[in-house]
Amino acid sequence: MARRDNGVTTPEQPPGGRSAGLRMVRQTLRTAAYGLPVVALLIAWETFARSGAVTMFILPPASAVAERIWADAAAGDLWRNILTTMYRAFSGFLLGSLIGVAIGIGISRNALARWFFDPIISIGFPMPKVAFLPVIILWLGVFDVSKIAMVTIEVLFPVVTATVIGLQGVNRSVIWSARNLGASQRQLLWHVMIPAAFPQIFTGIQVALPIALIVAVFTEMAMGGYGLGASMMSASRLADSRGVFAGIVAIALVGYCVVKLMGLLRRRVLIWHAEAVMPSTV
Amino acid sequence: MTEENAQIVVHGVSQVYRPPAGREVLALSDVSLEVQGREFIALLGPSGCGKSTLLYLIGGFLPTQQGSIRVDGKPVSGPGPDRGIVFQDFALFPWKTVRANVLYGLERMDLSRHERERRAQSFIDMVGLGGFEDSYPSQLSGGMKQRAAIARTLAIDPTILLMDEPFGALDSQTRRLMQSELLSIWQRTPKTVIFVTHDVQEAVFLAGRVAVMSARPGCIKAIVETQFDKADPHLLKSPDFVNKVDEIWNLVRDEAIVAQTARHP
Ligand SMILES: Nc1ncnc2c1ncn2[C@@H]1O[C@H](COP(=O)(O)OP(=O)(O)OP(=O)(O)O)[C@@H](O)[C@H]1O
Ligand SMILES: [Mg+2]
Repeated sequence: MARRDNGVTTPEQPPGGRSAGLRMVRQTLRTAAYGLPVVALLIAWETFARSGAVTMFILPPASAVAERIWADAAAGDLWRNILTTMYRAFSGFLLGSLIGVAIGIGISRNALARWFFDPIISIGFPMPKVAFLPVIILWLGVFDVSKIAMVTIEVLFPVVTATVIGLQGVNRSVIWSARNLGASQRQLLWHVMIPAAFPQIFTGIQVALPIALIVAVFTEMAMGGYGLGASMMSASRLADSRGVFAGIVAIALVGYCVVKLMGLLRRRVLIWHAEAVMPSTV
Repeated sequence: MTEENAQIVVHGVSQVYRPPAGREVLALSDVSLEVQGREFIALLGPSGCGKSTLLYLIGGFLPTQQGSIRVDGKPVSGPGPDRGIVFQDFALFPWKTVRANVLYGLERMDLSRHERERRAQSFIDMVGLGGFEDSYPSQLSGGMKQRAAIARTLAIDPTILLMDEPFGALDSQTRRLMQSELLSIWQRTPKTVIFVTHDVQEAVFLAGRVAVMSARPGCIKAIVETQFDKADPHLLKSPDFVNKVDEIWNLVRDEAIVAQTARHP
């Protein structure tokens, strides 16, 4: 759903030199303030690790971990691992989102689908789906397919739930308007129900995104086969504590970027939504 | 007026709302009303007396529980573009721009692209939203949303117009302009209008008949003829007009008091 964003009619005053400079200073300060707690945490980590209270093996200093990440990046290992994990996380994420939206639409429109899926979703949602990992390994092996399947299953639940809630919440008179203007049942779904529920559906998909990353890393830890999770486990087995911490930091960075990008995408896609102009932290 | 030649015949209609939680509400009780083709009828009544409900029933959005509603001789079985409705809460599509909102109904009609665009633009201009074609509803004021909704419904040129307090969110100046636009459309094209309002003067000015509804459960308490020469620039100050407004205002006020005491016995 590409939205044109050039349609905002309120003509903005062209920023004058002085106020534009001010705004830039303010923006920089705000960004700095946002990053400050993270910087403080890094400094605390560095000082504590070097204070001698713990050995470098228990907690390598932040600078050493950063060096290690840099070296891994230069050698190409880091990128290979990130790409592998992302491939698994995103495949499962896309698959789970698509199937989840489809099931959600089914539940809210078809009595048979509702009868079938409703209890399964209700029972399955609070369950730790990773408990099925041994079964998945038995059925699908330990390669990409089983990891992607695990991610897909975990992603399904929040997306289904958000879709059902979103479709249920569509304003009655908006639906009536469309019917009044001549929309058929089919057009009602595609032209009205889904766009109207889209903010909710998108929220479900946003919630599912970090879950996808978490599950991808977890399955890699459990089954091996490259990726960030697997590389951390092998570093741990080799007592390579810097490698383990480098993995944690890399996951954090990747997760942060991906979630931020998703927030940006939301603001682009939901340009019509009143919330689009509000700053978002997700 | 007999049943045969009336365009809209509402006969003995009662409507009960049964919310999943909470108690049942009898919104309409034995409502009967006949509206002739090309008639402009206003519906007045205290808040909560079932005016919107009656429009939803005629529009075919709610199933008739008791009694019958016929339009052009056929029982109403669902919504249709022959009965255009302007909802009290505007009900615009928030993900569509003003232009796309107005175009939506037109796209479902057998029109060339050029004709659709032309018609959408002319109705957008008519309601004074020129320059806001590419705005989303969330970027509009309440009154602007309302005008967009009016343009969207007028654009599909329905033979029956159901308008639920369509000028409620407008300032008095814009309101006057919209009233005369509506009147001129009604005079130019064959349309039957059922117009819900809380403004007695507006009702008497626009309509040929005014139906006053009783407090909930609503029924038609009185129907008053209000034929005036709308071209007369001094109409609003003429004694006949003022007396008529007064007469109807008294009827409405009595019901408002009943509604009030029902809430606070
Ligand atoms: N969906 C609903 N569920 C339960 N009760 C409802 C529902 N809609 C309306 N009602 C009740 O039915 C009665 C009539 O409602 P309606 O909206 O038709 O009134 P109205 O005359 O249009 O009022 P207003 O002038 O305030 O718009 C009200 O008392 C309301 O409580
Ligand atoms: Mg109402």
